[in-house]
Amino acid sequence: MRRHTMLTGALATGVLVLTACGGGTGAGDASGGSGDDAEKATTISLMAAEYSKDNTKAFWDSFAAAYEEKYGYTLEVNVVSWDNIDQQSSTMIQNNQPPDILNLNAYASYAKDDLLYDSDQVLPAEVKSDILPTFVKYGTYDGKFYGFPDLSSARALFYNEDLFQKAGISGPPTTWDELEADAKAVKDKTGDVGYAMPLGPEESQGEFSMWLFNNGGDWKNEGDWVIDSEKNVQTLEFMKKLADEGVTQNNPARTNRADAFDLFSSGKAGMVVGFSPLAATLDEAGTVKYGVAPFPSNDGSESKTFGVTDYLMAFKKPGNEDAVKAFYELYYSQDQINTFIEKEGFLPVTQSGVEYFQKDDKLTVYLDTLPNARLTPTDDPTWDKIKLAVQQNLGSAMSGDPKSVLEKLQQTAESES
Amino acid sequence: MTATGDVLAPSDPSAPRTPPRPRRRRGAGVGRVHPAVAFLWLSPAVALIIGVVLFPAVMLVRASRSEYSITGLYQGSAGWDNYAKVLSYPDLPVVLRNTVVWVVAVVALTILISLALAQLLVKDFPGRRYVRWAVIVPWAASLVITSQLFVLLYDYNYGLINHVLTGLHVIDTPISFLGDDRFTMASMVVVGVFVSLPFTTFVFIAGLSAIPAEVVEAAEVDGASPWQRWRMIILPLLRPALLIATVLNTIYVFNSFPIIYTLNDRNPGFGHDTLITFMYKLAFKSQEKDVGMSAATGVLNVLVILVVVMVYLKIVDWREETR
Repeated sequence: MRRHTMLTGALATGVLVLTACGGGTGAGDASGGSGDDAEKATTISLMAAEYSKDNTKAFWDSFAAAYEEKYGYTLEVNVVSWDNIDQQSSTMIQNNQPPDILNLNAYASYAKDDLLYDSDQVLPAEVKSDILPTFVKYGTYDGKFYGFPDLSSARALFYNEDLFQKAGISGPPTTWDELEADAKAVKDKTGDVGYAMPLGPEESQGEFSMWLFNNGGDWKNEGDWVIDSEKNVQTLEFMKKLADEGVTQNNPARTNRADAFDLFSSGKAGMVVGFSPLAATLDEAGTVKYGVAPFPSNDGSESKTFGVTDYLMAFKKPGNEDAVKAFYELYYSQDQINTFIEKEGFLPVTQSGVEYFQKDDKLTVYLDTLPNARLTPTDDPTWDKIKLAVQQNLGSAMSGDPKSVLEKLQQTAESES
Repeated sequence: MTATGDVLAPSDPSAPRTPPRPRRRRGAGVGRVHPAVAFLWLSPAVALIIGVVLFPAVMLVRASRSEYSITGLYQGSAGWDNYAKVLSYPDLPVVLRNTVVWVVAVVALTILISLALAQLLVKDFPGRRYVRWAVIVPWAASLVITSQLFVLLYDYNYGLINHVLTGLHVIDTPISFLGDDRFTMASMVVVGVFVSLPFTTFVFIAGLSAIPAEVVEAAEVDGASPWQRWRMIILPLLRPALLIATVLNTIYVFNSFPIIYTLNDRNPGFGHDTLITFMYKLAFKSQEKDVGMSAATGVLNVLVILVVVMVYLKIVDWREETR
């Protein structure tokens, strides 16, 4: 009998332990406490996303040293991979211990939950006026500026010059019809992928944004969701047509962006929508001869680029206001922000930054389009959920009906807002 | 996984047990310690159980009854809403079916293959030691690395498997092992079996080594055929090992996260998710992004695996088997 109880106990414990372990990487790091109860915080914490293994940690460590030297505050730096940052930040907020500064790709839900400082409280006025108006617009929720951009990227069409030459194509396409013809030519003459189209769950909203902006469509129009607008349905149908014709890679709905980039980097794809970090990878490897051009619009009108920015948001915690303000003053100083963006291979978010980066010819194609870049509606907290719904559902249009997929997303958006 | 496996070591049936001793005066003699001393020795284990098992369990239940915003901000009590939402979730039937297929297929195949492997590895042959080492390798590698390796092997464009199959003219066009719904689950099961083999095989090797040679010899003398010897002698004597292997594998495989998460990351929705990855996606990837619903799923998962294990033990009458 004793043996019976022991075994049951052992098994039950085992089940619990194993189940607990199976739950994945629970974010255990709760080092966000920063002397909350002190009148004035002298130590603040930063949770930063890891853009690259080599540069991100190194930059923030040297930033922390400069910050301490200049203002006397201590900055606890915690660099977290993109895979884990959602979990860690969510866990810290659940435990009521958010970091003072959080670097993430969304902010509106946090602003909605009234967790953040707005620009009047912590952002020096001259910094706000230096930030590009596009980013101020998309960083503004409910009339206040909460989402301070740390860096940006803009997408453009990357094409493989060798494959284009073999297929007898003289230059990059300027309309969708040309893009389709070029993709076909590459596919027929070289056997490689014409256009690599990543509609897998990693970032399908990015690929689709690039296309729909260049067909005169949008996610939201004057405050209303227009996901299933005629233009957008037409856009998705065109993308499906490309897939059906077999000029894209196999199974676009199940291809993540990283895999599409791999295809292009190995010289097996004629075209892909890329951004400056992809260019850096290609330059380093040096095996693919590529060109960068604005993404073509449907009718040949001026291209609109899809821009992405991430945010450095500040959490309201008693006594941390001055230290947080000092953080932003230093981060947006020319030396710091431009160094960071340059090292990581992204694009500036400030007017002074755009001027600074003019020196690099390779960036011209992006910098020219940046001030007019279109973003996804990051200023709407609903988007934080719609983005996920798009990631999980958009690909199904490739094997189903584009219109009904978009209609379903539209319904989700309307019911959430 | 290896570390937590040790927790169950005391239940190993082959471990010799001390027979009950005649009662002696308190605190004196061999095999008795003062309760305070016993407590002192037990306290690290007790602290560990409280800290690593009980506390998270309580927090999990609490979270499952709370409402959270998408940012993770606590917004008040949710009652049983999270459970209701999970149980009425449209994709839940698919997820449950996947879970059953995944666990049954991986555990059954693992046990069958491991039985054969163990049988081979107890035989004496030159180089046996190296083969035994080789069998441990999948166990020693991290699950994420193994899974990533298989992603490369399965790849549509550059994968070795497609390369070999097309080279041998078995197929004309490559197979999308991970993106084609017909192949995804099977591809994942292969990896699941691959990483479960080492542990299971070594449980069986231990079980086989514990079978007295005399019994087998006696059967041989009595004229039993090899199949009869295996079926009537070895298999019944292996039942304790089979029981342990089945129970532990069921728990491991049910809770396996990295394999499914890594191999399935290109597929949208919940078409190939099990309860474990479903739980994760509810919290971080789905449009709900709801920690409360995820916690409720976590509680349900514990109940499911407890019930399954208990039912299994009941069926095989484990008290007999582990005596």
